[in-house]
Amino acid sequence: MSGASASLLPLAVAAPICGAIAAPLLGRLWTRLTIAVSMLALVVSCALLALLAPQVYDGEVLVEHVGNWHPVDGSQLGVTFAADPFGLTFALLAAAIGAILLLLTISELGDLGGKEMGGYACLFQLLVAALVASALTADVLDLFVWFEVAALASYGLTGFFLERPLALEAAFKTMVLTNMAAFFVFVAVAVVYAGHGALNYGQVYAAMAEAPRTADLVALGLVVGGFGTKAGLVPFHGWLADAHTAAPGPVSALFSGLMVNLGLLGIARFVFDVQAPNRGDVLGLLAVVGGFSALVGAAMALAQDDLKRLLAYDTVSQMGVLMVALSVGSPESLTGMTYHMVNHALFKTLLFVCAGAIVHATGMTRLSEMGGLARHRPLVTVAFVVGAAAIAGVPPLNGYVSLGLIHHALEGDHPVELFVLTLAQALTVAALARATYLAFFRRRDDDYDRIERLGAGMLVAFGLLAGACVAFGALPTLVLDHVVRPAAGSLVHGAEYARATLADGGRVTPAEATFDYADPRQALVIGGTLLLGLLLARWVVRHSEPSLLTAVRRAHTGSVNDYASYAVMGVVVSVAVLVLT
Amino acid sequence: MILVNYAAAALVFCLGVYTVLTRRNLVKIVMGLSLMESAGYVLLISMAYRKGSTAPVLLHPPSGTTEQELAHGNVADPVLQNIALTAVVIGVAVTAVLLAGVVRVAQHYRSLDSDDVRELRG
Repeated sequence: MSGASASLLPLAVAAPICGAIAAPLLGRLWTRLTIAVSMLALVVSCALLALLAPQVYDGEVLVEHVGNWHPVDGSQLGVTFAADPFGLTFALLAAAIGAILLLLTISELGDLGGKEMGGYACLFQLLVAALVASALTADVLDLFVWFEVAALASYGLTGFFLERPLALEAAFKTMVLTNMAAFFVFVAVAVVYAGHGALNYGQVYAAMAEAPRTADLVALGLVVGGFGTKAGLVPFHGWLADAHTAAPGPVSALFSGLMVNLGLLGIARFVFDVQAPNRGDVLGLLAVVGGFSALVGAAMALAQDDLKRLLAYDTVSQMGVLMVALSVGSPESLTGMTYHMVNHALFKTLLFVCAGAIVHATGMTRLSEMGGLARHRPLVTVAFVVGAAAIAGVPPLNGYVSLGLIHHALEGDHPVELFVLTLAQALTVAALARATYLAFFRRRDDDYDRIERLGAGMLVAFGLLAGACVAFGALPTLVLDHVVRPAAGSLVHGAEYARATLADGGRVTPAEATFDYADPRQALVIGGTLLLGLLLARWVVRHSEPSLLTAVRRAHTGSVNDYASYAVMGVVVSVAVLVLT
Repeated sequence: MILVNYAAAALVFCLGVYTVLTRRNLVKIVMGLSLMESAGYVLLISMAYRKGSTAPVLLHPPSGTTEQELAHGNVADPVLQNIALTAVVIGVAVTAVLLAGVVRVAQHYRSLDSDDVRELRG
């Protein structure tokens, strides 16, 4: 039984929504008050979720049927909220990192007027609320609604600097692609409902197990396209780099650390929890899509001159890595995937916060203009190096653990995937090493015209995020046993979670996985990719761009029509593959 | 099954996709997206259809039917109609945001051609 604590679940979403309503009104009175109230809303949301955490990570699924509409005879008419370990992990990350980023906003955008700050805080909290809610909901239509809320908020945040043409361009591309993605998800939900008369996860699961239909596979193909766009998977990724380049610093961090994970969450929920009885060969499809994303993203990152754009393409690559890990579907790979999702949220947020701090301090965005920042900004340098080393998997940082789990799960049965991931990892190391060298350690002869001080909010954000990167890497057994293994259990034992959402609660068994810090093969792989990556970075800095990379770059034409064509082609192929195999 | 409706939905959808993929005018791209959405509404209403059914209103049943008959399911699926209504509302909001974006782009770039609005590339 869930009892009273489950009834707190909708409040965790309601708090930031209330904050979002209050923010623009308060902004007209007093700017500082806007920030204070918004911070309070996010902290309340985070605290409510943390209050439930001990119960949920113990394996319990807390279920709240909103409006007291309880299921009758195995069918549920109302919306259900369910806190399972996987969803709660995502929701907690969203609320906590959201609060940190809002704090950072004060240092970075503190000179905004009251009206602008009100609008910014409103959209920011709406996005966080949508992320929390989509992690907690157990209703496919509700998931679509929160997807749409997140999308609308992200349009506003991408185009926040309305006076900058680049922001408008990025916002328009994001709108067109995300709008198409929302349409795909919407039709998928309708097709699922028309076929099974069910929207609740557990009810759809049961109906599909009983009477699988071909139309379900069409829906799943559309889901891969729709949520794949949000996750920035190739070929749906056209909007991602542009949106990150043009958005304000904390917003890029929010997009990359958290919002793209919404796509991952959607795909994971559909593949393992909702459509598990009738999913065709979606895992094979995701392996291909993920492998391409990992390689294309890392290669594009290697060729970028804009620091934030480089990090954005690295996000594409990391989402590909996560998708490959997801596609294996074994307990160990899903544990690795969940661990890496948490880690990616931490280190990518940290890197974007560093990038934002550099842009704020120097007013420069291009790597070719920067240089020698290690001397001027030692603290940012340390934070950036920690983030980059975490992605590269340097022990004792968190990337070592999650990559180790993923690589170990791929050994044996999945040699091709392992090769692709290792290659992508080497390219990622090269891209980040090149960025670190160019921005921080290259000699720069003339001094910077203007270099601003770091705000207190930035220092707090650096400390918390870098500290989390170290903690999640240094204490793998603790994190695995208490957070990640239960969380991966929601995916591995999707049937248990699905059953719980149609009842008044239930339990989910943790996934089985262990991590051996001293595994020599893992050390060898990480060492090898590091060495290869550093050599590659050295080569790229000294020579001109290889022609293969130029060809990949040329495919990113910047035209919204082309990006839309890639996405439509991707969806058509996804649906065709699922239906025909 | 009402095939004509499904065919109409597919046709409108293809028109919308064709517009988004081939027209460079930003306003036309927005129109294409709206067409795709409209195809969604037609599809949903068609999927809600059941042969010989009436509207899902239980009060004052049409002549020849009783309230009991309606309550036992000889009505069009109200949930899909609700989803369509939700989608109409969302569609209006999104179209408004898109058009606001287009207006801003037109003010800054003095052009509505998507080929002029592609500084971010590669």
